[in-house]
Amino acid sequence: MLKENLNRVVRQGWVNFKRNSWLAFGTVGIMVLALLIFVGLVAFNVVSQITVSALEEKVDVTAYLNDDVSNDQAFQIVRELENMPEVSFVNYVSKEEALEEFRERHKGEELVQQALEELGDNPLQASLEIKAVKTAQYANLVSFIENSNFRNLIDKIDFYENEIVINRIQKISSGLRMGGILVTLLLSLIAVLVTFNTIRLTIYSQKQEIEIMRLVGASNWHIRGPFVIEGAIYGLIAGLVVLIIFYPVVLIASPKIQTFIPSVNLTSYFSNFFGQMLFLVIGLGMAIGIISSFVAVRRYLKI
Amino acid sequence: MIIFDKVIKDYNGNTNYRALDEISLEIKDGEFVSIIGPSGAGKSTFIKMLIREEAPTGGRVLIDNLNVAELEDGQIPVLRRKIGTIFQDFKLLSNKTAHENVAFALEVIGMSRKQIESDVPKVLRIVGMEDRAVNFPHQLSGGEKQRIAIARALIHRPKILLADEPTGNLDMLNTFDVIKLLTKINEFGTTVILASHNREVVNAVGKRVVTLDRGKIVKDQEQGKYSI
Repeated sequence: MLKENLNRVVRQGWVNFKRNSWLAFGTVGIMVLALLIFVGLVAFNVVSQITVSALEEKVDVTAYLNDDVSNDQAFQIVRELENMPEVSFVNYVSKEEALEEFRERHKGEELVQQALEELGDNPLQASLEIKAVKTAQYANLVSFIENSNFRNLIDKIDFYENEIVINRIQKISSGLRMGGILVTLLLSLIAVLVTFNTIRLTIYSQKQEIEIMRLVGASNWHIRGPFVIEGAIYGLIAGLVVLIIFYPVVLIASPKIQTFIPSVNLTSYFSNFFGQMLFLVIGLGMAIGIISSFVAVRRYLKI
Repeated sequence: MIIFDKVIKDYNGNTNYRALDEISLEIKDGEFVSIIGPSGAGKSTFIKMLIREEAPTGGRVLIDNLNVAELEDGQIPVLRRKIGTIFQDFKLLSNKTAHENVAFALEVIGMSRKQIESDVPKVLRIVGMEDRAVNFPHQLSGGEKQRIAIARALIHRPKILLADEPTGNLDMLNTFDVIKLLTKINEFGTTVILASHNREVVNAVGKRVVTLDRGKIVKDQEQGKYSI
């Protein structure tokens, strides 16, 4: 009985979809536009997210240690810093490593190499490269170091020179995030409302049919079932169309975006998340279709 | 048994004009009752009360001791499945074929697909529409639509058959076919309530006649004739 009902509902939903093809075409079209806006926003958020994290990746502070600090003392500081929740990563660069790096960087520059030879002594300082979990935490981190018991082992911290850049990056990234969320919410709301209204109009055109079904003695679920299935079919088709449009566009646009922002590779990002995108877009389309139909039919079930 | 107990119906709270004005009557199981009267007398409202398309403003409408006005939303479809209705404007589902329209009445009562496929052609044959089964309502003439509407009202063998001007769009020949059909159904034990303002139809039936005028019962005769 249940299986037979389910069969009937699905079959009837599909038949309605085919018979209403002209109307269905319009509704699916609107849903495609709405979902395109949505995936466009997802792509925009991905690009800005990756850009922001690439920028943040570049930010760190370096604390230069006094020459008389031993390796043991340095590791002691490293451990203490690593215990702080704000710190994501500390890298200790000893005097020797610093010199090695310096030499490497100025390979082939005779003058620099000669100057080093002439000095005889290692003029570079050991240092700690510290990365915070969030860009906003650098100021706190630095003031913690300033007040710590190992402050006298530290010669200087380069935060102050970088402070303005760090602040600016932080402002841009939080602005982008907030803006992204706001725009996404607003446009998604518009997309959902437009879709909902389109489906409502589609069902309004069948208002009389629904009332007749009621008068002949159909239960609410008997009437509603096929409409809900029809809504789900709208969502399914719209979702598929959107993915068919979206992926080629990503393929074409990705190299162009990459020339501006090298760290952003949309093609690989969206192929890694293909399953999730499929689920998200089709799921969203079907959910909107089902809920809109459900709500819209209810209005005419009162008779 | 159908009982109308001081039933009042106003539309939109208009108490100056009552569609039904304190109507009381009893219809026994298996009776054939013709409700007659001029346009606006309250015939259609009378029919609408029985399937709860409209709720009474006052009084009670009882079908087998069930107060129709007090039915919960989920119970209304159960009531309607016991009743077959031929509507004045047919009320066919425009995006379903003739066959599907008739089948719908059986789907609603939860009949199996197999049973539906065997019953629908038989009933379409009875109303002479077996050749039009695949056509949609807009491809049918007024009389043909009416016959599909009749087939839908009969197919689930309802206890009560309501017919609101069922011959309004038919020529004389078809009209008498319909009347014969209704009489036949009544002979099998179904209560038939026929609302009509067609003199020939009512006189041909020759059963109980209730005359309505301005929402009141002005005459109730066991073997009535159309006389206004």
